[in-house]
Amino acid sequence: MTLPAVQPLPEVLDALRERGLRRGVTPLPGEMVVPAVPTGHAALDEALATGGWPRGALAVLDAAPGHGATSLALDSAAASQAAGGLVAWIDLAGTFDPALAARRGVQLEWLLLVRPADGAEALELAAWLARSRLLDLLVLDLDGPSVPRFERLAALLPRSDATALLIGPSALRQAAGRVAGIRLRLERRAWLAVGGDLVGLRTSASVTRHRWALTGGHTELDLYFGEGRRIDPLIPALAIPERRSDEHLELPAEQPALVVLSA
Amino acid sequence: MRVLMLVWPTLRAMDVPTQWEGLLDRLDDLSPRIEALEEGVALVDVTGLEPIHGSERRVAARAVALAGMYPVRVGIGDNRWLASLAVRLARPGEIGNGAEARAACLILPAGEGRATLAPMPIGLLPTDQAVRDRFSLFGLTTMGQLAGLPRSAVAAQFGEAGERLQALARGEDPRPLVPRRRPERLATSARFEPPAEGVTEITLALRRAATALTDRLGGRHLAPGRAVLSLEREAASPLSVHLALPEPSTDPDWITRLLLARLEAQVRGSAGGEDEARITGLTLTLDRLTNPAARQLPAFEPQAGRWEELRWSVERIGARFGEGRLWRVVVDRPTAALPERQARLVEIGHEAGTHP
Repeated sequence: MTLPAVQPLPEVLDALRERGLRRGVTPLPGEMVVPAVPTGHAALDEALATGGWPRGALAVLDAAPGHGATSLALDSAAASQAAGGLVAWIDLAGTFDPALAARRGVQLEWLLLVRPADGAEALELAAWLARSRLLDLLVLDLDGPSVPRFERLAALLPRSDATALLIGPSALRQAAGRVAGIRLRLERRAWLAVGGDLVGLRTSASVTRHRWALTGGHTELDLYFGEGRRIDPLIPALAIPERRSDEHLELPAEQPALVVLSA
Repeated sequence: MRVLMLVWPTLRAMDVPTQWEGLLDRLDDLSPRIEALEEGVALVDVTGLEPIHGSERRVAARAVALAGMYPVRVGIGDNRWLASLAVRLARPGEIGNGAEARAACLILPAGEGRATLAPMPIGLLPTDQAVRDRFSLFGLTTMGQLAGLPRSAVAAQFGEAGERLQALARGEDPRPLVPRRRPERLATSARFEPPAEGVTEITLALRRAATALTDRLGGRHLAPGRAVLSLEREAASPLSVHLALPEPSTDPDWITRLLLARLEAQVRGSAGGEDEARITGLTLTLDRLTNPAARQLPAFEPQAGRWEELRWSVERIGARFGEGRLWRVVVDRPTAALPERQARLVEIGHEAGTHP
C-alpha cells in the first residue's frame, strides 16, 4: 500500500488561500487589511490574536450581570470611536446611561442609539445598519424573554466590515453562540478600590471560541467605573487576601493606594 | 422707486408654506422684482408699470386680484417705509369695484413723502415706548416736527437711532428692495401602458427619471433638497410622496430608494383596496436646488463624513420601522450637578439645531 504524498503545510495554506478558504489573518500579498476594531484593552487585543475584534465577527460576551460585559462594550465603543469609527448601541432594555458612557470615553455625538420594539426587530435594525457599511461596531444590548435568530445577522456581518458585540441574558448568548465568530467568557475575580471607594473590577477574559485564530487566549482586565480609569496608572495595586463570598466586604478606610479585593 | 407692500393678515397666522410659495409665484405676473419679507408679507417693485397696467390704483387692484382668496392689505409708497406705513393706514374701498374693493388699500402720492407724513403722529414711527416718551418730553408730537429739527441736534439728543427715525419722518428709507430668486423646479413624467401592477414595477422608471433630472442638475453643480413623487392610479386617488432629503444630493440611487421606502410605507398604511390600484403614470419633481454640501468637515472630524452618509440609511430605517427607533445623545447641560440631567436623548429627524 502506498501512502499519499504529504504536502508541506505552507503549500497547503497557500492553496487554501487561493481557493478563498482563508481562516487565518495573514493577508494575501497586495491585499489591503482593514484593521480590527480595538477592544480598548491592549491585553485583550493581544489575547484575541487579531489585534482586536475581527471585522465581520459576531462576538458574544459570556458574562453574568456585574462581571464587566457592559463596561468592556463601552470601552470597545470608546476605542473604536477614538480610531475614527462610528458606533451604534442597540438598547433593547432602554438602560443605556449616557453619563456613564461619556465617563468611559464614549463620544456621544458620534453614537447612534437604537431603541427597537423587541428582540427580532433589534436584529433586523442591526442588519439594516450593518448593510450601510458605515459602522465599525454594533453593540447589541438585548434583553427580554424572546430569543431571536442570529443566523441572518451573522451571515451579513462579514460583508459589512462591522463587528457586533452581544451582551445579554444567558438564553440569548446561548442562541447566538452557535453562530458567533468569537465567544469571550468574562468572570469577575476581584473588586478594585481606592481608600473606601470601589472604583472598578478585575475580570478574567477567556477566549472560548475564535473563528479567526486559536482559542484559549486568556488575560485579566481591570475595568474601572467612570473616573477610575484616570486613577489606574498612578496608583500601585495591592492585593487583599481572598475572602469568602458571603463574608462582609470591608474596605480599608485609611488605605490610600489601589487595593484589589477578591470577589 | 415705487414699492407696493402686500400683507395677508390671516396667512401670517397660518402655517401654510406651500400656499405662500404659490402666492409669490402668482405675483411674478405683476412684477419680476418681488421680495418675501416673511410669511404673509411681500414687497413688489412697481416702478414703471403704468404703461402695462395703467394707474397705480389699477396696479393695486391687479395685485389684490393675484393675491388669492385670503384677505389682503395693500400699500404703495416711495420706499419700504412709506409702503409699510400705507399698509397700516389702509382702509377698504379705495380701489376697484368688485371683490378688490373689499381689500384695504392706500396709495401715498409719489415724491411727497415728507409732506404727507408731516401731520401724522410721531407714534407711527417704528420705535419703542421709551423713545416715544422722550419725544413727548421734548414736545414732539408729529413727524413734521421731528423732520424739521436740525439733524445734528437730533443726533446729539437721540444718537444714531434718532437720526434713523428722523430720516423716516422725512419720508426717507435707503434700504433697497432685494428681489427673491424664483425657486427652480425640475420635473419629468412617465406613462405606463399598460398600467403597472404595483410599486415594485415602477422602480426602473423612477430610477430613470431620477437619473435624467440629477444628470441635468449635476452639470450645473446643483443638487435638490427635496423630491416629490406623484403617482396617477387607475380607479384610485392620486398618491404623492414628499421627501426632504437628508442633504442635497445628486445620487439617483439614494433618491429612488428613499422615495420607494416612503411610498411603500404610505401604501402599507393606506385604506384597504387602494394599495391594489394599478399605476398609470408618475411624475418626479426635484426642487430646493442648492450647491451640494461641502465635504471639508471630515478632514477634521473623521466620523463627520460617514455620519452624513449614515443619515441616508437612517432615513430609510425611519421610513421602514417608523418613529421612535433612532436616537442620539445631546449633551446640552454639561455642568448640571446630576449626571442624568447633563444629557438628553433626541430622536433623529426631530432634532433642531443639535447636529454637531
